[in-house]
Amino acid sequence: MVQFRLPMLPHPDEVEWNSIVNGVETSLSVESNAILLDVLRDQVGSLGTKRGCDMGTCGCCSVLIDGEPRLSCLTLAIEAEGTKITTVEGLSDGHHLSPIQETFREFGGSQCGFCTPGFLVVISSLLSEKQNPTDAEIKNAIEGNLCRCTGFQQIVDSVRAASEILVSGASIEDSTMPKSDPHPKYMEDV
Amino acid sequence: MSEDEDKEIVGYKQQPGKLPFSKPGSGGKDGFSRPTDPKMVPESRGGELAQPWGSHRHDSLVSGQVIGRPTALVDGAWKVTGQAHYGDDVRLPGELVGRIVRSPHHYARVLSIDFSKAVALPGVVAIATGQDAKNKFGVLPVTKDEHAMAVDKVRHAGDLVACIAAEDEATAREAERLIEVEYEILDSIHDMRKGLEDSENPIHDRGIYHIGESNIQKRVFQEFGDVSTMTGSSVASHKQNWIFAGVNHAFTEPHAVVAHWDPSGRLTLYTPQQVPHYVHRALADVLEIPMHQINVHRTFVGGGFGGKSDPFPHEMCAAILARKSGRPVRIAFDREEVYWVNRGRHPSRIEMNLHADSEGRISCIETDALIDGGAFASFGHVTTYYNGVLHTAPYEIGSFHYTGARVWTNKPASGAMRGHGAVNSRCAVEVGLDDLSEKLGVDPITLRLANILPPHSATITGFRVTSIGMRECLEKVKEQSGWSKKFRKLPLGKGIGVGCGFFISGSGLPIHWDPNKFPHATVHLKVDMDGGVTVHTGAAEIGQGSDTVVAQSVAEVLGLPMDMIRIRSRDSDTSPVDLGSYSSRVTFMNANAAISAAMKIRGSLLDATSEITGADRDGLVIGDRRIFLKNDPAVGVSYLEALHKAQEDIGALVSSGAYRTPPMGKTHKGAAAGLAPAYSFSAYVAEVTADIETGQVAVDRVWAAHDCGKALNPLAVKGQIIGSCHMGMGQVLSEEMRYGRDGHLMNPDLLDYKIPSVHEMPQVIPIIVESNDPEGPFGAKEAGEGPLLPILPAVCNAVYDAIGVRTSELPITPERVHKMIEKRCRSEGISDPLDLDCPTLNHSDLQETLEDRAREHSERDKSRRFDEDISDYHNGALFGLDPTIPPDEADPNWEVRVLPGKEYLEDPRLAGSAWKHSERRHREG
Repeated sequence: MVQFRLPMLPHPDEVEWNSIVNGVETSLSVESNAILLDVLRDQVGSLGTKRGCDMGTCGCCSVLIDGEPRLSCLTLAIEAEGTKITTVEGLSDGHHLSPIQETFREFGGSQCGFCTPGFLVVISSLLSEKQNPTDAEIKNAIEGNLCRCTGFQQIVDSVRAASEILVSGASIEDSTMPKSDPHPKYMEDV
Repeated sequence: MSEDEDKEIVGYKQQPGKLPFSKPGSGGKDGFSRPTDPKMVPESRGGELAQPWGSHRHDSLVSGQVIGRPTALVDGAWKVTGQAHYGDDVRLPGELVGRIVRSPHHYARVLSIDFSKAVALPGVVAIATGQDAKNKFGVLPVTKDEHAMAVDKVRHAGDLVACIAAEDEATAREAERLIEVEYEILDSIHDMRKGLEDSENPIHDRGIYHIGESNIQKRVFQEFGDVSTMTGSSVASHKQNWIFAGVNHAFTEPHAVVAHWDPSGRLTLYTPQQVPHYVHRALADVLEIPMHQINVHRTFVGGGFGGKSDPFPHEMCAAILARKSGRPVRIAFDREEVYWVNRGRHPSRIEMNLHADSEGRISCIETDALIDGGAFASFGHVTTYYNGVLHTAPYEIGSFHYTGARVWTNKPASGAMRGHGAVNSRCAVEVGLDDLSEKLGVDPITLRLANILPPHSATITGFRVTSIGMRECLEKVKEQSGWSKKFRKLPLGKGIGVGCGFFISGSGLPIHWDPNKFPHATVHLKVDMDGGVTVHTGAAEIGQGSDTVVAQSVAEVLGLPMDMIRIRSRDSDTSPVDLGSYSSRVTFMNANAAISAAMKIRGSLLDATSEITGADRDGLVIGDRRIFLKNDPAVGVSYLEALHKAQEDIGALVSSGAYRTPPMGKTHKGAAAGLAPAYSFSAYVAEVTADIETGQVAVDRVWAAHDCGKALNPLAVKGQIIGSCHMGMGQVLSEEMRYGRDGHLMNPDLLDYKIPSVHEMPQVIPIIVESNDPEGPFGAKEAGEGPLLPILPAVCNAVYDAIGVRTSELPITPERVHKMIEKRCRSEGISDPLDLDCPTLNHSDLQETLEDRAREHSERDKSRRFDEDISDYHNGALFGLDPTIPPDEADPNWEVRVLPGKEYLEDPRLAGSAWKHSERRHREG
């Protein structure tokens, strides 16, 4: 049998690890051979970053390191020391989804949702470089991410829609605003 | 308020001159009820929504809110923010990490397990082996053949031997290495054909029911009609021996599970599951505790496709380890382990024989399917039937003969995968029809159009088919793809092909037949004074949008926006029993149950409104958060007013709705397999480019028409269609579980197991056909699995159109296509493949006959949509039998046989040879 997660020594050295994760200065003591994905999930608590294959094939673990999409399963934590890391949790502010999050939700970019965080960080990097990418550029950007549900078409649709939001400067609704009134008036009463 | 009313105010209400209270629970956005959009209201209720298939029993429940509108998934915001918790995201205080020790051998007896070294490792907390849980389990009660861990034998490489719980992952992995297992290696079987033979050590022992001393797990023999006469009168025949590789679901989330025995001694199992209820049952059996002591919590499911629809040994392991250690245990798989669990589509060898008579009718389908079940039964009992019975429609056929067998081999178990059991044999049938049409000199779409069963008919095996949108699917893809200008007219290397599909929308009988009086699906609603509706359903949301469709159904009936509906579908403690997300049953069954529960609440709201307004109850309708007189919309009350009135005496309104299938089907052995309350239909046209020199095939465009009855959520339906194309395209072009010469699985990872990436995906044009099923919720059927079937044959047929070679082996990798091209060049004496001719089509006289018949049938089918009192139509009418009489009564030569005769056994087909063995019980006294 093949082992993709290499057998780890039970007690490797601990090293100090400092990075800015989603805008928060984070200081941890990590094992010297720790993989960034494991540090993010198990120590930082970014459970939105997903573990799908451990060998860089599915893209579910994608994060941004200093703005560049990287596979956290193929990155040692110490390689990302001193960088700015953005995970899916860092894309929205708790009130407003980012345009690509909003359109993924709205246009079927996400079905089971497991690959979604990886797609979102990769696409947000693309959109921050170019607000209005071509179809070919979209496809090239997400070629390292696998999705088994959508067949990618609604993902590409979502990117196009997000691009429209960015270009037009439209605002995204605050999700904590009041929801529907169960006691509405009759329209013609007014 | 008038002054008079002010004076009459009593009780808690505010006294005159003081600030008025707002109505408790009111407030929020959209303070005015929106007028109902006439385009959302069906014609039968005076609206503008066209109903070409007639009215529906749920028309009066339409409030114009959400049904038919593209609707974002209700749990989408969790997924896009990373807050959706999947199996491996459940973290409990004090958790241990579990690992599984797996067999390196294909087949061996476990002689001893020495875990002394592992126990000595600091940080190891608990170890369990098969001796800790000897009870068998399995998804089907008739074939329980799995254990939590090996009790006596390991049956495939990767089979479970022991499990460990440790303080951290590194320790658990180290302990896994330290466990020493002594094996006695047994002769393993890898070729499914070997499984048909007697063996010294059959992989399982079925006791008195064991078939010979072989590894045959299930065999099926079915014969309907007069096969010999029908084949004798045929003018064109097709025969092909197919080999289909096994494929895996390749969902992105590897299996993961967390088990926790809480302080009160109850077990909660957190697991991404399609069938939490079957897990619930299996846990109770294996752990020997009552079901009420267990709460199965379905986490978010990172893709299922049938691969998370068995109770799994690792789920048992987590529960056992948690019980032993007294702490929560989390087991998360590596990607490789996903392939060891497998349950993917069966590798199979299918012999397909089709016969057509001089009138272009399909006089006989003879299918022989040998399927490789791997080491366990899983859903295999059903798969064996589905390989045959699910291609008895949508065409009217003269006779049908199916022999099928499923064998155990020492591979990871095959099971249910999207399009369960129907995909491979459907591919063989549809490619066969393409070949037949060529032999008959007719267009393949015309051949199909002239042989479709009408709506409200019975198939040759007695399935009751209600709505059929097959014809419309074919007509639409023909028109939109520009078929007539392209078929057999494209240059070498470019091709176009058609394929169709037929699939169940829910399984007619629940897996657990005893007691079979339980409903298939139950939904509870609770509406308290805040006005929000809590929906309790056990339907497993696996990303397909089941929570959304149930919420939509409730919202529609009660006239509420989606943000007022909240779904609670996770815990078995709070959800009514639901059988799970498999066999495309959820929309049909759960939405029906939700509608019936919502109708009860609706009734209470209408009563209350009538009481408040004094209006006649029958004249009331529900619109956007408001109940009013249809003829005088000014007379009415808000939803909240009606609700509070209805709650005055009893508090929260609660209701429960259930769905049961109607009685249907015949009584022969196996008659229940493939029986469904409704069936979906689909037709695809695919356009491909085949590189003549390298054999590389690229799919350029797919026109994908699917009859889903009624698209409750068109966004999700389209997503299912496109996603199905992706998965089917993978199977036809690149996906294959490759086993080496010594039986090792060579590609248990996503690098070598090739699923199509964004670059391989063609443009898919989803076309929704709505046949308005009379029993479906608002007319809906299924869209999750059926759309996968047609893509395989459509691509195969397009490849033939492009380069004139017919494959008989999937996937059609460049290597295989190249070999076929080489072979064709050799046989035609052509040195440069670029000189090859494309296939051509010269219409025979039959083409016109078929076109006439197709037109005639089209009229017949349309008239059968509306007729209130539709006459019976049994398969066989096309061949001159009285359509109103079942063929076994109408035709003296009609045979229904479920056992082979001596004559057949003298020269059986491959899978049919399974019948040469006798069961032990028939041999011993």
